[in-house]
Formats: sequence, structure tokens, C-alpha cells
Amino acid sequence: MKASFSTERTALSPRVRRFIDNIHEEKRRITLMKNRDFHGKLNSDDWGYVYYPDWKFDPPPSTRPDGVIAGYVPIAKTLRKFVNDMPTYVNKNSALGGAWVRVIAEHANIRVVPEDQPEHLFDVWGKYATRPGCFGMNHCAGDMEIGLKLGWGGLLEKVRRYRRVNDPVDTSFYDGEEEIVLGMQEYAALVAAKAGEMARGESDPDWRRNLLDIAEINRKLVYAPPDTFREACQFVAHFQTIDRIYYAGGALDQIDRFLLPYYEKDTREGRLTDEEAVWCLASLFFNDTHYSQIAGLNPDGSRDTASRLSFLVLDAIHYLAIPVNMALRVHDGVNPALLRRALEYILEDGSGVSFSLNIGCEQGYARNGYPLGLARQRIKVGCNWTAIPGREYPLQDVTRANMGMALHWALKDVKDGDPSGRTLENLFERFAYHVKVIVDSIKEGYDWHYERVSRNTPELIYNLFMHGPVERGLNCAEGGVDILNFNIDGVALATVADSFAAIEQRVVNEKRVTWDEMFDALDRNWEGLEDTRLMMKNIQRFGAPGSLAEKWALRARDHFVNVCKSSGTPKHNLPIIPGMFSHGTILELGKELPATPNGRFAGEEISHSAEPDPGFASGLNSFSPSLKATAVAKVQPGYGNSSPLHLDIDREMLRREGGIDALVQLIHAHNHMGGTLINMNCLSKEQLLAAHEKPELYPDLVVRVTGYSAFFVTLSKEYRQQVVDRFLA
Amino acid sequence: MEAADDTRSALLCNIQRFSVHDGPGARSVVFMKGCNLRCAWCHNPESINPNPELLFYAERCIGCGKCFAVCPSGAHVTREGRHIVDRERCVNCLRCADTCYAQALAVSGERVTVDELARQIVEEKPYYGSEGGVTFSGGESMLRIDFLEQILARCAKERVHCAIDTAGNVPWRSFERALAFSPMFLYDIKAADPQTHRRLTGADNARILENLARLSESGARIWIRAPYIPGFNHGEARAIADICSRVNAERVEIVGYHRLGESKYAALGRSGGIDPEPPSRAELEAVRDAFAERGVDAFI
Repeated sequence: MKASFSTERTALSPRVRRFIDNIHEEKRRITLMKNRDFHGKLNSDDWGYVYYPDWKFDPPPSTRPDGVIAGYVPIAKTLRKFVNDMPTYVNKNSALGGAWVRVIAEHANIRVVPEDQPEHLFDVWGKYATRPGCFGMNHCAGDMEIGLKLGWGGLLEKVRRYRRVNDPVDTSFYDGEEEIVLGMQEYAALVAAKAGEMARGESDPDWRRNLLDIAEINRKLVYAPPDTFREACQFVAHFQTIDRIYYAGGALDQIDRFLLPYYEKDTREGRLTDEEAVWCLASLFFNDTHYSQIAGLNPDGSRDTASRLSFLVLDAIHYLAIPVNMALRVHDGVNPALLRRALEYILEDGSGVSFSLNIGCEQGYARNGYPLGLARQRIKVGCNWTAIPGREYPLQDVTRANMGMALHWALKDVKDGDPSGRTLENLFERFAYHVKVIVDSIKEGYDWHYERVSRNTPELIYNLFMHGPVERGLNCAEGGVDILNFNIDGVALATVADSFAAIEQRVVNEKRVTWDEMFDALDRNWEGLEDTRLMMKNIQRFGAPGSLAEKWALRARDHFVNVCKSSGTPKHNLPIIPGMFSHGTILELGKELPATPNGRFAGEEISHSAEPDPGFASGLNSFSPSLKATAVAKVQPGYGNSSPLHLDIDREMLRREGGIDALVQLIHAHNHMGGTLINMNCLSKEQLLAAHEKPELYPDLVVRVTGYSAFFVTLSKEYRQQVVDRFLA
Repeated sequence: MEAADDTRSALLCNIQRFSVHDGPGARSVVFMKGCNLRCAWCHNPESINPNPELLFYAERCIGCGKCFAVCPSGAHVTREGRHIVDRERCVNCLRCADTCYAQALAVSGERVTVDELARQIVEEKPYYGSEGGVTFSGGESMLRIDFLEQILARCAKERVHCAIDTAGNVPWRSFERALAFSPMFLYDIKAADPQTHRRLTGADNARILENLARLSESGARIWIRAPYIPGFNHGEARAIADICSRVNAERVEIVGYHRLGESKYAALGRSGGIDPEPPSRAELEAVRDAFAERGVDAFI
């Protein structure tokens, strides 16, 4: 399809270049300061908070004897005080004012009250080292249009109107939402005042003009909705601020959709140039690393939604050169210039957008019983996760069902049972049993969550940006929106598959080791048995063509998916969507898992998401991105939640003639094979190893860790090792 | 070795998928064992010998001693506290590799059937796109023409684009048989001067150049690849360019010497032959300029 808009890179004038470069430098300053205090252990999104090490928050007193702050009004009042008390940050190089300073839970005792804790489930969750997802927060996405059309003033009127319409006895929902909006109005006014004050002391005409503009925009946004592109970005930045402060929410809707009307209107009326739009976007990305998406199909699937603005988003990420969490939704008709530009920038910058794939995400989601037209509106707004902004409560990325623990208990069952039960089939049967116990306990926890989360930690921010909660007076997690889904992520797939394959090959087929010898080796954590360990490890592992392990991976995947989908939650029949995303938890989950038959030592990390382990390719089949991509595509859970493929591409490969074309083909191929998400880095081996050795010398190196981007220097040695291992696989 | 069916199977030393180095687009490159040239700089030394060979990666050895126990010829010895493989004694029975779980000992050369190779090539098909496909390389893949014919036929049936990476030192009849399946050719020209060619590769280039001319006449799609080995064939550029200008080549590539084969020589227990300094970008550009003087636009 021929684009009817420019696809050129935006050229920057010296003035805008200076602004963006200075924002980059400010980010670098803040990052190095954080790194100094956190000693390279920020193993998460970089996020955009401005670090004030000495600032302390004095929360309002709790109404409870135990000091816990929970429920709509206590939390909302605390949030309102927080935004009023925190340092008001304005950067004269940014197009936007404000910034957040930390997650509120670090400063106030906001949590679920003890009497609502599901103590009856703690034993089973502990036994399997389950991350149950009960009381998980903020993994949903708002529809930015709701806020942009109403502004804070309009949102306040809406809350008050529906309070009158519904006239509830318990007004805490509306009281809480009103506190949030009032707090944000006060915060916008504070930013306006701060910018005005800074302008008065500023002699540089460009900076002074900018500060005055920030002041004027923020004064307006106290009540009025945004009219211009820059005002819209400023409103969104304030949303990011309050969203992050409360439970680190980070979903931002489809940026090239909700900002497009403002961009088109301003450029049509001559108020906005492309470089100014790039500056506004860069300022927004500096403000926070909220997850967002560009491109993708329109709801009826008839056309690609990419526009000139999609290209400007890529330009802004490129010029700013800090971690940004942007996804490009790929489909057969995706704008080829946009996809190519994204890859060119990854080549130049080392990191960039991720690639969310439409077939696996959309057709997979439709298998849950939703129309494809709705599935196309489900976009990538998290590390790996997707949601229909404003219309779905999709709780994802908060559970980890550790199939490695299911294998551990299955091995124990077989070891302790009758010797006649020492068969692969029996072992798998026991494994299947334990997987079901894990999944069932998570489902039970989700019922508990559904009944109690709203009175503890309601989605105060997202409720304002969703279709239904304010209208119904219901938290989005308890039916404020029409669509509720609950995700369960199965992890350690390759660890399990390789273990079954090792037993099949070495114990059952070749008889090089007996069951007893294997059990003994596991009990001894391979101590003094390095040769046996390597024998079990060095088989054709999951990912190698035609491996036994692939068969076991598929079988484990099928069973996991089946127990997730065979029923909803036991009490409320809430729908479950299976996924396979580990995030960086492979380290902490691995620490709790004893030795496994794939030659893994106790405490070592488990495998990543649905990926083969590093080093899976050996012998005749040397590693290739396509080999890994094929493996990941084959074991997708298949219901629309993303199980990512991490690719760390050698810069030389991408630089070579035809390299980008080959990657374009790989992305489309992975999409057609059922893949859902590709996270990509483009580095050289030398650069990565040098940065691993002395990260402080590479303060600008941005890498995609799992689903999120981060400065390499901020990661712990173990997390850096994950990236290095992947690259050297 | 068993009497293997060279029509239905071949010894491979590697399948490199998603390569953008050997032909157009993304390709699976199938490296076959066996070569009839002895290029002094060969970076795939494990592909020269047509039989399976023992590879030894000393840094992976955990000292379990199993290889010592199974070796019938006492080829595994300890010298100055280090485990080494005495290649003089080794009878290439390869039993030791089967006992080495640390993968310090491994075998280069795995026999793969036409069916299995076809399955693996076809599985990669989604990644090939409109340009890519499979490249048969080596070694000298044309020495395995019986097998090659079979796998070319299967690829043609599966509509997978095929390229043959060859040094051309085989009977013309082999080309005729391959041409029945319309592959493209990546054709190496290592030296134009017969004496230089013989010195560098151990063989005369008359047949190679004749085959190239006939291949050109046949209308086959040809990419010529000219390795540049500093200090060895640096004076050949213009003459190679002249050869290129006489044939109907779609593309000419200058391939600079690199040292990626170094660790393979060590694993095979062989000396690496010549080891010139890899050429700089400027050197390669000078070679390209020499080609350009003869009217040949070459890529580096």
C-alpha cells in the first residue's frame, strides 16, 4: 500500500537538537545518580522518575490500628497529598512540565489488609514457589481519548455526575476518584507555578519562552481539556506521573492513534512542525517509559493505521537515545518503510522498538471467544502483555506457574513410589498432576482477588480512563469494564522439556545411567558427578531440529494450556488465558528450584519464557536466529498473550547488504508461524563483553532485557549475564 | 567407514541457517565434507577431509579420563599435565567422542539423508523470502553430485531456491547434471595465473576456468567470488577482473581473508597453513578499484 504521507527522517534544527540533546544528558545524569545509590541493581524498566534521594514523604495517618493504608479514599487521599508534596520538577529543555519521584508504596504503607490475605493458599503456593498473581495491580490499560477529550475538569464533572446518577450508599468509589482528579488539578497548577518561577529567572530567550509555554499549558490543563498536540502530550505526561506513582502502572494506549487528531489539526493549521512534534514526543518519552504501540490494523482489518506520526515516534526514540518501550504491530500489510526504519534505528542505536505480531496476538485472542475486530484493538501496552485500552481488565504478567517445580515434585513422587513406576509415562503423569495443582491454586487465588482487590487496592487511576467504571461506580477489576481476563504464565518450559528428553535418551533409551543414579545425582546437586551432569545436559535440547525435547515441550505446553483453559476459576468462573512469559524472574524462580535432570544445578536460573536455553544449538546445527524463532513459534500457548522471542543480532549481520531485508522476512515469518512478540537488540560481541566487564564506561548503552528496555549500566551482574548469554548462544 | 549410499546421504559438517553471506537473501548453507583443492588459507579446514574427523577442544576437557579408557591406540596422552590427542597414533575410530559428555571431543561429519536434509531445508522456508533459499557449500559440494542431484530435485519440488558454492574443479558433466535443476552458482576464482593457482590451491585452474566459461554460456545465474589473500594473490586482481568481464556474472564479490578458521585448525590438530594479516577496509577498496579499472563493479 503506498503511503500518502512522508516517510522521511525528520531533520532537526540546532534549537530542537539542543533541547533533545540536553534532555538526553539530564537522563544520563539522573541514571548515573540512581546507579550510584542502587549499585547497578535496577533490574526493571528504567522508568522515568526523577531521583530525589533526600526527599521523604509524610503520609496522612492511617485510620487502621495496624497503620495499613487501603481502600479508595485512604489511598486516594495519600496520592493527592503525595503529588502536592513531592518536588515539582520542570526541565527547561523539555516541552513538558512535571515528573514523578517514586512509587508511593515505598513511602506509605499501602497494601492489602492482613485479614484479606489468602492464608489458606500460602502453603500450596509456597510448595511450588508460585507467583500467584492474587492482588496483582495495574496490568491494564486506559483509553487515553477519554481523558484527552474531558481533561481533568471534565473528568471531575463526570465523576460527580455519575455519583448523582447512581446515588450509592457507599460513596467511597466516587470519593476516591474525585480525590485523584483534584490532586492532579493541583499538581498541574504547581507545575505551572514552578515553570513561571523558573521563567522569571531565565535569561536565555529559548529557554525562557519554553518555560512560559509550559506554565501557560499547565494553567490551562487544570480545568480545560487539551486542544493542541503539545497540550495533549502534557496531559498524557501527567497521567503517566500519577499512574506510575500508584503501583508503577505503565500502559499508554496506541500513541499514533490517540495523538493523531492533535497532530493533524496542528500541522494543518500551521501550529506544529514535525521537529516540534518530535521534541514533544521525546519529552514524553523522557517523562516515562510507559508501554505503547504504533501501527497495526484498523478494527475491520482493511488497512494499516500507520501515519506520519508513527514515523515521528521512531524519530523521537532515535534522537533521544534512552530506554523507550514502544512496540510496532506487524502484519502482512504493515507499512514497509516503517518496519524498515525501525530496523535501521535498531542497527544504529543498538536497541529500539519491539515487534508485536498480529496473527498470534489477534487470532489467538479470538480463540477465547472474542470477535477478530475486537482482537485487533488489543495492543501491546506492557512488557509482553496486551490489552484492549479502556475496555478490558486483562490481568497479565503477574503470575508465574513454575513448571520446573511441578517436575521436581513429580521426580520425588517417582523416586519415593513403587519401582515399577519408574517410567517416563508415570513421570509425566505426576508432572501433569502437579501442574494442575499449581494452576488450580492460581485460579482459586484469582477468585479471592476478584472479591477483595477493590476494597484494598482499587485501580484508582485506570478507572478514570476506562469505559464503565465511573458510569457504574465499580472498580474495573470487579466488573467496571465488560471484559475481564486472567492470565497464567507457565514458566521453565525448556528446563522441563530438556529434563524429560535427557531422561528419555540417557536413562530409558541408552541406559547410560539408571533412575537411581539420576535421583542420587539430583539429590547431591551433581556433586562429584560432573561427567553425569554433562551427559544429561548435552543432548539434543529443545530448539535443536528434530530433538526429543521438542516433543516434550509440546506435550508440556499442551497440558499446561489445557488445564488453564478447561475451566474458569472455581467460584466465579472467571476466564483464564494461558501465557508463557518469565520476565526476569528466571533468576529468582531458579534460586528456589533444586537440581533438574537437564544438568542444571540447584539454584541456577530456569529457562526463559517459551525459549530454548542458551547453547541449545550444537553439532551439525549451529545457532541461528531462525532456529530459535522456529522453536519459540512452535510452543506458543496460542490464546493471544505474548510469549516473546528475544533476538540479539550481531551488528555485522544487520549491517551487511540484505541484512535488514532478511530480518524483515524473519519478523514476518515468525508472525506467520504463530509467534507473538520479538524483542531485539543489535550489538557487537566486543561491545557487549566490554560493557559487561565495565558497565560504567558505557552509560548510554540501552538494551532490551526482556520485554522492557533499560540502561545496561543499571542492571545487576546477573541480569547483564542474561543478555550476554543470549548473545553468545 | 560403512559403505554409505552416496546418492541418498552425505556427510555434512554444518548447517548454517539464516545466513546472509552465501548468496542472495537469507539462506540455509549446507556445508558438505570433502574437497579436491588445498587452499592454503582455507577457513573451513574441517570440510577438506571427506571422512568423519575427530575434533578436540582442550578448553572443555574436564579430565574424566573416559577417552583414555576406550581409545584402542593410546592416542589420548597426558603431556606436561595437559590432555592432548596424538594424531599420529589416532586411528580415527571416534569411540572417544561418544564417551565425552563435556563435548571436548566431537566428530566433524554427520551423515544426513536426502529426506532429513530436505525436511530441515523446508522447515526454514518461511525465512527465505523471495530472494533466499539454500546454498550447498563445503568443501566442494559438486564432488557429491549424486547426492546433490537428489537434494536439488527435492528443493525444486518444494520450490526452494538453490545455490551451489563451488570452486569449479570437477568434470563438466557434474555441472550438466546440476544444471538440470537450474541452480545459481557462487563460483570461486582464487587466482588467474595457473602457476599461482597451483601454488595456492595445489591444482591447476584450466578446468575451473573452462567450466566457468561453459557455465556462462549455459545462461546460468552466476555470482563470482574472488578471495583476497594479502601477500598471496594480491597481484591477481586485474587478471581475475578480466576473467569476470568475459563471463556473464550477475555479481562479483571480493572476499577478504579472515581468521575465523583458526580455532578449527586447533581442534583438528593441524597447523593453520598461512596466516596473513586480514586485509583492512582500505586494502579491499583498493582491490575493488583494480576490478573497476577493468570495468568490473565488485562488492566487498
